Amino acid sequence: MPKVILGGTEIEIDEDGFIQEPGKWNKEVAVDLAKTENAFPMGEDHWKLVNYLRDYYLKYEIAPPIRMLVKQTGIDLKTIYQLFPGGPAKGACKIAGLPKPTGCV
Amino acid sequence: MKIEDISKKTDQLIRIEQSDLMPLPYPYDNPEKNPPMKMLTQEQRDRYEASLDGVLAIGIPKPQSAAEEKTFIDKFLSGLAKLFTKENNWTFLQPLMHSLEYCVKCQLCNDSCPAYIASGKKEIYRPTFRPEVLRRIINKYLKKSPLSPPPSQGGPGGLWLKFTGSDIDLNWITVARLAELAYRCTLCRKCAQVCPLGVDNGLITHEIRKLFSQELGIAPKELHEQGTIQQLKVGSSTGLSPKALSNIISFMEDDIEEKTGKRIKIPVDKKGAEILLMHNAGEFISWPENPEAFAIIFDAAGIDWTLSSELVGYDAVNYGVWYDDIQLARIAIAHAETAKKLKVKKISVGECGHSHKAMIVVADRVLTGDLNIPRESALPLLEDLVCNERIKIDPNKNNFPVTLHDPCNMVRLMGIVEPQRKILRKICPQFIEMEPHGVENYCCGGGSGFAIMQSMNFPDWRSVISGRVKLKQILETFHDTISPEIKKYVCAPCSNCKGQIRELFNYYNVWEECGIFYGGLVELIVNAMVDIEKPFIDWEWH
Repeated sequence: MPKVILGGTEIEIDEDGFIQEPGKWNKEVAVDLAKTENAFPMGEDHWKLVNYLRDYYLKYEIAPPIRMLVKQTGIDLKTIYQLFPGGPAKGACKIAGLPKPTGCV
Repeated sequence: MKIEDISKKTDQLIRIEQSDLMPLPYPYDNPEKNPPMKMLTQEQRDRYEASLDGVLAIGIPKPQSAAEEKTFIDKFLSGLAKLFTKENNWTFLQPLMHSLEYCVKCQLCNDSCPAYIASGKKEIYRPTFRPEVLRRIINKYLKKSPLSPPPSQGGPGGLWLKFTGSDIDLNWITVARLAELAYRCTLCRKCAQVCPLGVDNGLITHEIRKLFSQELGIAPKELHEQGTIQQLKVGSSTGLSPKALSNIISFMEDDIEEKTGKRIKIPVDKKGAEILLMHNAGEFISWPENPEAFAIIFDAAGIDWTLSSELVGYDAVNYGVWYDDIQLARIAIAHAETAKKLKVKKISVGECGHSHKAMIVVADRVLTGDLNIPRESALPLLEDLVCNERIKIDPNKNNFPVTLHDPCNMVRLMGIVEPQRKILRKICPQFIEMEPHGVENYCCGGGSGFAIMQSMNFPDWRSVISGRVKLKQILETFHDTISPEIKKYVCAPCSNCKGQIRELFNYYNVWEECGIFYGGLVELIVNAMVDIEKPFIDWEWH
């Protein structure tokens, strides 16, 4: 797996740029990841989504259903795509330091 | 291009060019406007063996020494020999032998292969290409080897005598290309259906995958480490734990109440229930409206049912069916044990094609005694509820063009053809069939795990090559209503097919350009239910 410098720290990433060491995630890492995902600079709504995903992941070790994300943050899908052009899974989740989704999702 | 070229050291055996591909109908009839396939980076090419077609599904690291290369080839050869022994391959030995023996290379199967025709008939994707590579390797390297099985099981003097042709060299590149090539066939088995002799080249592809997984530890990580292994450890290939499942079920109950005005308690781990409903766990995460719709229908019809929260028991998937018999058996047993513990009368499989095959058909060879619990598809039950009017339907609520995609495993493999059609004829006044359909359908292009394989440029291959015929069929079906102002629905009652159709539609911007949406069958049923005031289908959710 390749290693890159994100937020001043060396972190292992997979072929699609998802970080492989979730423990090394912090806000600086998120900002650097946002630069690779055309989601920079990050505004209030970016952080609202990223923080929700991060908190959900820490509690349940998985990303929430997108419908839940939309309902709980009050940010609709279209806006999510504007904020994160890669979409909720490949864009927002990646920036929040979640692993790449697996299974039939 | 000839079979033996697979052994030759060239930069790439074939190149995928837009101008060679099968043309698509309007509005994708100008090849220059369609998105080009992503190329591998030089770094990826240096690291992995990408000399088949410049695409990587598995990504096999190149060997670092001659010794490593030799071990790899030796393991492949001994694994190949094992496929022909009863004790190692009692499950598929017979159909494997028949299929290798009976093919007369008439090539009638060629035009049934979605990858072959979409690619502009690239030789390596021809359904008869892989089996011929195997026959030649057996003929040249195994016939006289001490590894060969006894004549009664095909060895020297038996079936293998019929294999001829020695134009092949067994080297690293041959074996690595063959492994990748086993992941350019979706195992849809349309080639087997059109073969006058019943030769199943899809099964041969499956056996090649099995050899690589069981003997060399080579399989796409999405199917193995993140798939089966994660399912056995965490409970689901999605990473969904029982705790997260419980959270999502509460969310679904709230969501149902919001959409229908009615609070439903979704039964979980209800002992002695008539039916244990098993969903592909991807539904809970990506399409929760599908398990919600099942709950609404079953509640309205008064069905005695339950979900399970047991590890593995809440995820119907069994990826082993695509690549590894041992993993298949582990999951099949875990599924049956869940049902046994709950003392349910039977398992009903929701809208997931490959788990129909794994759980209902193939598991019959694994489950014995009291583990052999009745297992069936949910589709005939849904047909009964809708067509015998156990729930009230107003078809006018579904007054938009609808077509049906036939998941290969339910339809061609199992012959479940009519229940879903009878439902659609009853609930969708503008239902139209795509051509061909039923058992003659074409695969969505995401079969055999392709829909979930995300590494490097494989997703592009899936949208450009293996899904191309399906996209063409869908566009042709809606030819008269292709304007994006007219909303249209592709009903695909299978999680894997839905994932593939979603990716296809995103890749070609199909919602924006043509107004075509996709979803399952139960969502359409609930959308037409008389007692539910608000529309259930959310068109904006594309």
